[in-house]
Amino acid sequence: MTTDWHLDPGLLEQYETGVLGPSRIMAVEAHLLACAGCRALIPADDAWLADSWSAVYDDIHAPRVGSIQRLLTRAGLPEHRFRLLTATPTLRWSWVLATAAVLMLAVAAARVGADSSVPIAQAFLVLAPILPVIAVSGAYGPPADPMHEITGTTPAAGPALVLWRAVSVIGVAVLMATVAAVLLPGPGWYAAAWLLPALLLCTGTLALATVLSLPVAAGILGGLWITGVLAAASDERAVASMFGPTAQLAYLVSAVLAAAVLILRRRRFDLGENR
Amino acid sequence: MTIVAVQGLAKRYGATVALDFVDMEITVGVTGLLGPNGAGKSTLLRCLATALAPDAGTIRVGGLDPAVAAQRTEVRRRIGYLPQNPGLYPNFTTYDLLDYVAVLKEITDGRQRRAEVRRVLDEVELTDRAKTKVRKLSGGMRQRLGLAQALLGDPALVVLDEPTVGLDPEQRMLFRALISRLGERRTVLLSTHQTEDVGALCERVVVMSGGRVVFEGSPRELAGVAEGQVWLSEQPPVGNAAYWRNADGFYRTIGHQPAGAEAARPSIEDGYLLLLGNAVTTGATR
Amino acid sequence: MRRRRQRPIPPVSEQSSDAELLHAIAAGETSALRLLHHRHAGWLRARLRRRCADPDVVDAAIQDTFVAVWKDSDRYVETSADAAAWLWTIAVRRLLSTLRGPAHRWLSGPADELPDVATTPSAEELVLLGVEHGALGPALDRLSPELRRLIEATALDGLSVREAAKLLGIAEGTAKTRLMRARTRLRELLT
Repeated sequence: MTTDWHLDPGLLEQYETGVLGPSRIMAVEAHLLACAGCRALIPADDAWLADSWSAVYDDIHAPRVGSIQRLLTRAGLPEHRFRLLTATPTLRWSWVLATAAVLMLAVAAARVGADSSVPIAQAFLVLAPILPVIAVSGAYGPPADPMHEITGTTPAAGPALVLWRAVSVIGVAVLMATVAAVLLPGPGWYAAAWLLPALLLCTGTLALATVLSLPVAAGILGGLWITGVLAAASDERAVASMFGPTAQLAYLVSAVLAAAVLILRRRRFDLGENR
Repeated sequence: MTIVAVQGLAKRYGATVALDFVDMEITVGVTGLLGPNGAGKSTLLRCLATALAPDAGTIRVGGLDPAVAAQRTEVRRRIGYLPQNPGLYPNFTTYDLLDYVAVLKEITDGRQRRAEVRRVLDEVELTDRAKTKVRKLSGGMRQRLGLAQALLGDPALVVLDEPTVGLDPEQRMLFRALISRLGERRTVLLSTHQTEDVGALCERVVVMSGGRVVFEGSPRELAGVAEGQVWLSEQPPVGNAAYWRNADGFYRTIGHQPAGAEAARPSIEDGYLLLLGNAVTTGATR
Repeated sequence: MRRRRQRPIPPVSEQSSDAELLHAIAAGETSALRLLHHRHAGWLRARLRRRCADPDVVDAAIQDTFVAVWKDSDRYVETSADAAAWLWTIAVRRLLSTLRGPAHRWLSGPADELPDVATTPSAEELVLLGVEHGALGPALDRLSPELRRLIEATALDGLSVREAAKLLGIAEGTAKTRLMRARTRLRELLT
């Protein structure tokens, strides 16, 4: 669109200060819309432009707030802590989906083979405590976290970060296993009987990780548990006694002991600490 | 002003000695840590960055002692560290990765963090790559991203482990410009095995070999080590001194003067090679 | 997730046209959005300030405008309207929705962030371009303020009669009648 008439700085200044008559204002505005040259005449306020652009830039780049985050924020989890937890190596969709798939398979197998469901349900019972341990093994440090050298040299590094991450992955794993346990056919107490062994294995792993690396600690305790279970597998009564009241009490006491060790030695989670 | 002071630092892995009682001091500006592979450069940098605890010796960063747990966090607040293998999450976008590291660096306020991420992106010229996933970045861009995360929180000391390795000439030039800009008001310590980097960037150079510091001084002083020991001749020198033919067709010898050879201006590399004792096959300098 | 164009986008610069910038924005180029912002934010701000005295509200509307452009630039690529007019339409709607608060999101609900229709200048707007020379200027000045405001909202700001009616706080029917009256009156004044 061309027109012979153009704006001049004087007219623009009058427009901006608001001293023009109504028709002149409309004329200026109509012309501005049509003429790129006159638009460029409006003096640029560089500081304002930079601020405005920064706000736009931040807005289009800031990570989107998802529904899970909104839920956790409402529950009192600060946004920055959520960022830390989502970067937990094992707290990825791939891991969550794999765990969920294993659990669903177990439930499906138990439901289809209704007659033989008791052994399958028992197998679930002995294997479920391992799931959170596997999750914990990759929650922090090498080799699960490729960025561990950067993570470990930031002010946030250390026991607090390890525990936050461990708790978050254990939480997710326990939640999923609980859902599966409820869906499982078999005696009602099965749904809860694995929780204390899982607690012991997790705190034990973390306590042992103050001496060894997390994956090694998880491997040792997970291995011990499986070996014990396999040794008892031939005898159905032995398996039942592994989840009996006496055994449960023993798990609880051991878990408390492991937690005490963990609290005393928590500083050893720091890479910069002498070992 | 001394920013980093290291005394009697020692570290061994099994039977391998990585650091053999190292003493050094680092001031504001760019300091290059030069040495062959296995000289202990990375181990030293990892100790300084608090990624590794030394077996013996003391480190002071701005007067603080990272061996004391209470002061270690304070040291970490003042250090930006780019490891040799940073392992940046490939599925994160440039922006999300920096946002994550900014949280690790205790920038908890969202608005402040976004401003800080924007600042470092601008500093390493990755502003327009904020939405790109790390795995889709070129090697040079990834290295700049690694530098950007080190700069989050505006640390007084920036520790870079082999930052120019594997970069093409253009990227290398851009990276050098970035680092020299950093050195204007910060302390930058970078390791390299390229003497060109040292000549182009560093005000001071520390040469390491076999876990020890064998030289500390300016690049000019490093070249000066070979003063009077570099020779050019038209014929290959007799004997078994190390020599090579340069682009002009002359034979360049480091060590004793071969017959009919003229003295040449030593380069940083001459000084470096001489220090490492690799320049001369027989004990010309020993 | 927004659709990204598969074809490689040529690099953008200060010299790129608005349409080229918007194509690059649709392909996810932040640098193109920055260029577009730097080119248009200034005059948008000057003009929005004539509509709203609160600088914070104006600044927020401008930020919202460019965020909306980033999220929905495909819509522009499809309509290929004049970029300046398109930006203005977004900006003025953003300003109105900010002014009226979250309870009155009618002007730009999340469902239609950007106007789909090609915003070509209306007949009145073309006449307005001649305001400086012809008899239209005095005619507009002599128009009653409420009629003039309606002309301004529809012809200049590119709002629909319905939007203009809500902006001025009158019924849609009233707005239609008034607009008709304004046109007749203008014609009278011009002859």
